[in-house]
Amino acid sequence: MSTLQAGRGGGGLTFRQKLANFDYKASPYIYISPFFILFAVLGLFPIIYTVNVSLYNWDLLKGQGDFIGLGNYVTTLTDPFFWNAFGNTISIFLLSAIPQLVAATVIAAVLDQAIRASTFWRMSVLLPYIAAPVAVAVIFTQIFNQYGGPITGILEALGIEPIRWGFDVFPSHIAIATMVNWRWTGYNALILLAAMQAIPRDIYESAALDGAGRARRFWSITIPMIRPTMIFVVITATIGGLQIFTEPKLFDGQSNGGANRQFQTIVLYLYEMAFPRRDFGRAAATAWILFLIIILIGLLNYAISRTIASQDIKRNIRVPSRKTVRPNGGLK
Amino acid sequence: MKFSRRTATVAAIAGTTTLALVLTGCQTGGDETPSDEPITLTITTFGTMGIDSLYEAYEKEHPNITIEATNLENGGAARDDAYAKIAAGTGLSDVVAIEEGWLSTIREVSDAFVDLRDFGIEDHKSDWLDWKYAQGTDADGRVFGAGLDIGPQGLCFRGDLFEAAGLPGDRDGFAEAIGGANATWESFFEFGQEYTAKSGKAFFHHPSFFWNSFVNQQEEGYYKKDGTTLNIKDNAALKGQLNLIVDNANIGAGAPAWGATEQARNDEFAVYVCPSWMLGVVKGFYDAGTTGTGWDFADVLPGGAANWGGAFLGVSESSEHQKEAADLALWLASPEQQAAAFKVAGPFPSTLKGQELVADATDPFFNDAPTGEIFASRAKGVVAQVKGPEDSVIQDNVFGPVLDRINQGEITDGETAWNEAITLLDQLVKQ
Repeated sequence: MSTLQAGRGGGGLTFRQKLANFDYKASPYIYISPFFILFAVLGLFPIIYTVNVSLYNWDLLKGQGDFIGLGNYVTTLTDPFFWNAFGNTISIFLLSAIPQLVAATVIAAVLDQAIRASTFWRMSVLLPYIAAPVAVAVIFTQIFNQYGGPITGILEALGIEPIRWGFDVFPSHIAIATMVNWRWTGYNALILLAAMQAIPRDIYESAALDGAGRARRFWSITIPMIRPTMIFVVITATIGGLQIFTEPKLFDGQSNGGANRQFQTIVLYLYEMAFPRRDFGRAAATAWILFLIIILIGLLNYAISRTIASQDIKRNIRVPSRKTVRPNGGLK
Repeated sequence: MKFSRRTATVAAIAGTTTLALVLTGCQTGGDETPSDEPITLTITTFGTMGIDSLYEAYEKEHPNITIEATNLENGGAARDDAYAKIAAGTGLSDVVAIEEGWLSTIREVSDAFVDLRDFGIEDHKSDWLDWKYAQGTDADGRVFGAGLDIGPQGLCFRGDLFEAAGLPGDRDGFAEAIGGANATWESFFEFGQEYTAKSGKAFFHHPSFFWNSFVNQQEEGYYKKDGTTLNIKDNAALKGQLNLIVDNANIGAGAPAWGATEQARNDEFAVYVCPSWMLGVVKGFYDAGTTGTGWDFADVLPGGAANWGGAFLGVSESSEHQKEAADLALWLASPEQQAAAFKVAGPFPSTLKGQELVADATDPFFNDAPTGEIFASRAKGVVAQVKGPEDSVIQDNVFGPVLDRINQGEITDGETAWNEAITLLDQLVKQ
């Protein structure tokens, strides 16, 4: 009784009620707190720590040295090997992102149709994504082996001069981009498919009634309607593409992106800085430069995909409005 | 030492396993564990060191000890792995294999490893070749690495192909044909030119091996004896060797430096520089148990004796069972086990008694060559060169790319090759 009384004294609520109140207000935060705690420990702290490291002469093994301010950023940005890695990354990114997104959209559009055994096809496009990237890289490295790999064999049979996939710059980029495309096209196709499935079917029906063909419906309805998802896919592909590491690393296990850095990407450059060359400060600076590059290119892609998609969406708005004018099934 | 590239999966899987092993290895705790309590010791090795086959015997002798082993694909993978874990201050296996190529870097942070003198290594000091023991000792006299193998070099060669070309194909005949004890790189390449002219086939697979051997033969390599002053820019000997390699690039197969399996099986090259640990690499081109491939092993190296590579075992300071780990490391590095490892994979013992134990060893794969005797002969007068902190960067990233482009026929004159190397040196190495 007395505790109950005391409880009432404070604000007129019982302890239980207070607890319930606290539960009501705090629980959601507690429920989501694991994410934020994990993010703080595994995400935020390393990011801040990396800034700290990047401002020092920092030997991987011996640790912190002298404070040099932005020195590591300057040496990195004036290093021809960094720009070589930058160029390779962009090249591989373009060779993978563009065909991948085009193919993913087409595959998604096909899967969006009423086809037989659709679940089977949807599952199978996701299969490459399930394969471990290491396994993918090992298999493709064998396929693209310039010394007697299957592709070389086919080219030889056709009387074509063997392509030096592992040695020349552009062929090596194609080989690496192929691994990326193989792995990610199905994944992106499924995401785009989900967006396409959310488009109300009656829009298509009305468009068809208006005499819009398949292509016209695809360009004027599907593409504009999946715009937010498309932007999401473009952004994630950008982040993934610019951080590419496993495929070029395993394409030649002996070096960090080819003996002559033919396919050294920025992350491989970062890796070479951090481990074989033990310059942790420059590796940290490279990480931050890469971060800024990703943001810049991400914004650029966002802007591009917005303008492309929004030109069509204006036209698209007319489709539902026309529908409201016409009585349901009026043309039949 | 570098090893042939197998599948890169091995490295990746091994990397993940390391983590798992480290986690499980930390379960039992405390330094004062009585010796009969079950203990798990972790060990990380690389390439074909021949010691993996010894663990079982050790476990049998020490029933309370379980060995969890990780084998990384090559020295480079092991280096990156060890550096990352030393930097993190945690995660090193109890016993860690260290390669000569990055030993000088480890020496600078040798306190990451225990002083093996605390665990009785000094009682066995006289077992080792003096220079090998000294390599594992830091500036303060702490012994951070127990020597395993050394890399005296001979030549692996295809006797059958030489004979088919009308050239001497037996061990002594081939050695004599390239100049015997006085063989020079010039006389070696002359033989190669003759072979290619007569057979129409390439002589060697990739020139980097001749380059590395030559560098190791010099009294001072990429660094002066102090281990800090670079010794490259005015080095006429190095420049001369690069010239010689460019001039003889026409008899190369243009094969990859590591993992030339296809080319070997297709008889596309006939000679291979073989430090002791490389015998396992050549065998690796073929299926296990294969013999009669025509490979043989000769007691000769153009330019004189040289050591290429060699490994050490260190016990990490962070190990929870330093005593037991040190016991294991010293046991693995003992003459008897070095001899056993040699018989499995070919790394030549760095202990005198170990060398005696393998003196009569022969190798059926290499046409029954008396490998023990040949390596003992090849090891005579060998002293490891002083390596500097950036030695592996210079080898892999300065001369490596240039040799690769020579190999691919993209650089065809010595002057260009040298200038490209110097440009890379200036870009990559702080001077």
